[in-house]
Amino acid sequence: MEILQYSIRKLFSGIPLILGVTLISFVLMVYFGPDKTYELLGKNPTPEEIAEVRSQLGYDQPFVVRYVDYLRELATLDFGNSDSTGERVDALLARTIPVSLALTAPGFVLGNALGILLALFAAYYRSTWVDKTIMASAVIGMSISFLIVIIAFQIIFASSYGLGWFPVRGWSIGSIGDYFSYVAVPTMATVFVALGYNTRFYRSVLVEEMTRDHVRTAKAFGVPPSKLFYKNILKNSLIPIITRIVFSIPLVIISGSLLIESYFGIPGVGKITYDAIISGDQPVLKAVVGLTAILFVLAQLLTDIMYRAVDPRITLK
Amino acid sequence: MAEDKKPPLLSVQNLIIEFATENGVVRATDNISFDIFANETVGIVGESGCGKTVTGLSILGLIPSPPGRIVGGSITFMGRELVGLPEEEMRKIRGCHISMIFQEPMTALNPVFSIGNQMTDVLIRHHGLTRRQARDSAIEMLAKVGIPAPAKRIDEYPHQLSGGMRQRVMIAMALSCDPKLLIADEPTTALDVTTQAQVLEQISKLQAEFHMAVVLITHDLGVVAETCRRAIVMYCGRIVENASIEHLFASPRHPYAKGLLDSIPQIRSQRLEELPIIPGRVPDLLQLPPGCRFADRCPRADGLCSEQIPKLAPSGTHADRVACHHPYPAVQAGSAS
Amino acid sequence: MNTVAITTVRRESLWSKAFYKFSRDRTGMISLVFVLFYMLIAFGVTLGWLATDWSDVQGGKWEGMSTTYWFGTNMIGQDIFSRAIYSTKTAFEVGLVVALIATAVGAVIGAISGFFSGTWIDEVLLWLMGVLDSIPFYLFVAAIVFAMQESPYAMHVAMISTFWTGSSRLVRGEVIKLRGLEYVEAAHAIGVSELGIIFRHILPNTTHILLVQATITFVAAIKSEVILSFLGLGVKDGMSWGLMIAESSQEVMAGFFNNFLAASVLMFGLVMAFNMFSDALQDALDPRKVS
Repeated sequence: MEILQYSIRKLFSGIPLILGVTLISFVLMVYFGPDKTYELLGKNPTPEEIAEVRSQLGYDQPFVVRYVDYLRELATLDFGNSDSTGERVDALLARTIPVSLALTAPGFVLGNALGILLALFAAYYRSTWVDKTIMASAVIGMSISFLIVIIAFQIIFASSYGLGWFPVRGWSIGSIGDYFSYVAVPTMATVFVALGYNTRFYRSVLVEEMTRDHVRTAKAFGVPPSKLFYKNILKNSLIPIITRIVFSIPLVIISGSLLIESYFGIPGVGKITYDAIISGDQPVLKAVVGLTAILFVLAQLLTDIMYRAVDPRITLK
Repeated sequence: MAEDKKPPLLSVQNLIIEFATENGVVRATDNISFDIFANETVGIVGESGCGKTVTGLSILGLIPSPPGRIVGGSITFMGRELVGLPEEEMRKIRGCHISMIFQEPMTALNPVFSIGNQMTDVLIRHHGLTRRQARDSAIEMLAKVGIPAPAKRIDEYPHQLSGGMRQRVMIAMALSCDPKLLIADEPTTALDVTTQAQVLEQISKLQAEFHMAVVLITHDLGVVAETCRRAIVMYCGRIVENASIEHLFASPRHPYAKGLLDSIPQIRSQRLEELPIIPGRVPDLLQLPPGCRFADRCPRADGLCSEQIPKLAPSGTHADRVACHHPYPAVQAGSAS
Repeated sequence: MNTVAITTVRRESLWSKAFYKFSRDRTGMISLVFVLFYMLIAFGVTLGWLATDWSDVQGGKWEGMSTTYWFGTNMIGQDIFSRAIYSTKTAFEVGLVVALIATAVGAVIGAISGFFSGTWIDEVLLWLMGVLDSIPFYLFVAAIVFAMQESPYAMHVAMISTFWTGSSRLVRGEVIKLRGLEYVEAAHAIGVSELGIIFRHILPNTTHILLVQATITFVAAIKSEVILSFLGLGVKDGMSWGLMIAESSQEVMAGFFNNFLAASVLMFGLVMAFNMFSDALQDALDPRKVS
């Protein structure tokens, strides 16, 4: 009950964020955005035809009306039809979001899990060669562009110049085996790129926790180091870890998959977003931006509830 | 006196601890030696940075390393050498035979585990109790340190307790395995004055009940006077005086110890013009003088003091020791003030 | 007067200590040499001494490595080495412009936000940062690129508008900490205006954080530039590693890797050196950093 009440209050307090995100994006993408009137018209249109298309697109309405319209679309999750394909936007999203989730989930989970694992190793063996090797590798990983990793991994693992183990591009899933073969190269690339950043971040969180007084107390009472790490230090570090993981979810789904999906030609949200950017498909862009904002508000709520579970000092107020 | 013939519970001999800092190697303790006997309470006194906390930590092998390192000397506990003891062996001693409590009860307990969880952990680990037994035992300990409604309090988290309560929890946790030696590092500094007195009283009471020795590390001579039988005065990583409380307070022999005692504000019959202070400042640990470290500030120093380090030598007929070339004369106990 | 003296002393000792510490950090010094070398190349290109022939079609299609074309030629016979060298300038230009402006904007807004923490001013600024952090980056860039009608600086503007929030949050936190310190209260007490306190007393004490943050932003800008240019949202006229990689993505399928490797290796070298330089700087300057 407490949680439910809190959640409702929290969702309401997320409204300013949603308004901000949608307003800025609306101003930039729609108000200053591409004028699609002439793309939809034939050669030598008559003024009547122009006026008709403009009213169809809503261009003749004042700014406020159009923005409120957008909010109404967001509230009802009804964004109309895509400009370029004519498909309903909600159907388009319902088709692409599962693809993006299936594509990004393994890399996301592995990238964070391995990152925490390596960070634990590095922190446990702090200042020894193990730590130094892991951290040096992390810096190297951080210095290689995502783009370069994608292309290089494609050459190495998928192309005929390399090992040729996996399909070069595309996404046609008939079986679980297909899924693994199509998701392999993108997953390896995401893990490779995320690992450096994640390991560094998690290690610094763990190391900071290691220097706390209560860790010294635990040592003074004979807690063995392995237990110290998996019980005391890890639980105390969970707040920054949760924050990082949960808040990266909204961006991983959209931005994270944009490059990989457009490069590998995988029909996920990232791909349709990229196509919408290129073609100026406003209904799709509006839907993607609005949903990202909502995801952020949900992420905030989720982290708050998780903090409460992890740290008794935090109350849901 | 008879006590001195028994082997000490803890014996520290010529202990040298060094810390690597950005600006060079600092000696946190330089050749310190002292003994702690069973059932006695000994104070280690000195200003911050004199090496008293490091000494306490070194006994449990808790010097953060790097940057710290025991360079030389030995620490024997119940006849067993602790310097160089493997970690696993050391862990069996920590919290079981030797316990330590810390200055900041706010941060010394883990904020995300209940106090019961933290206490039972120690008991399960060292005494092999079941969770149920450990919990009962922990509740009993909490009652002993004067926590009201311990069966309820045990499930609370550190932030739900007051500072004094938290320190009592620390003490309960420290004593739960019936240690032979308790090292208390500034246990009352972070507490307010009335709580301070209660906690000190609690430590004294439990010291008698548990038949343990207590090493009380503090900068507060008042605390030492109230609770200890003997005090070790440290200055710049060296022990300057080690004497029984009666002797130390009646007639301190080392000029630094005298300076410390004189600078305690106290209710005097006659109002002084100004509170006596020790002139000068503590030397930089990186650029220590070759002789006595107190020479620059000492009213009795001469050429010998700035050249030769005074040895900690027996002073008078009793167990007292002083490291000074020109100590104040010893006054026989009883004849003073 | 007293307060001024105190702040100056603290600052000087921080910087001289940092300088000493950095000069003894071997990896830091090596990375600095690399960064300076890249910078020299960028200067050379800017002054028209290097890689002037980057856009000339000189050789045949996909020529191999030779003494004339060190990294061979691309699909239409341009010298890959020249193009990669020329791109160094683009990277530096984007990195410097974005890092300097974004850090400066972040510092000012963060200082204001922190100084007025607890008031509506702070609330509004925090909301703005939250909003900017929640807009999908590529969409934001695309929108700005379009809104600015394909101006060559659209990408810079887009990055600055989103990257400043990082420095801003850091400075805000630092200012909230500093605000409680005595010298700031003393400045208040002797009647220094609020703006005076922010800009004369508080901001100068955050410069060490800003410097580190600027290096981090620099790296982020270079990496983003490459991806944005690849996606067709970044550099339009001129040459950049991202454009070279975009070009090469067809070439690699035909088994010609020189273009891709040249851009990748040069970019990796710069980013790696800068990351290490940034780390060493942080070790030397940031007292909060635990290693």
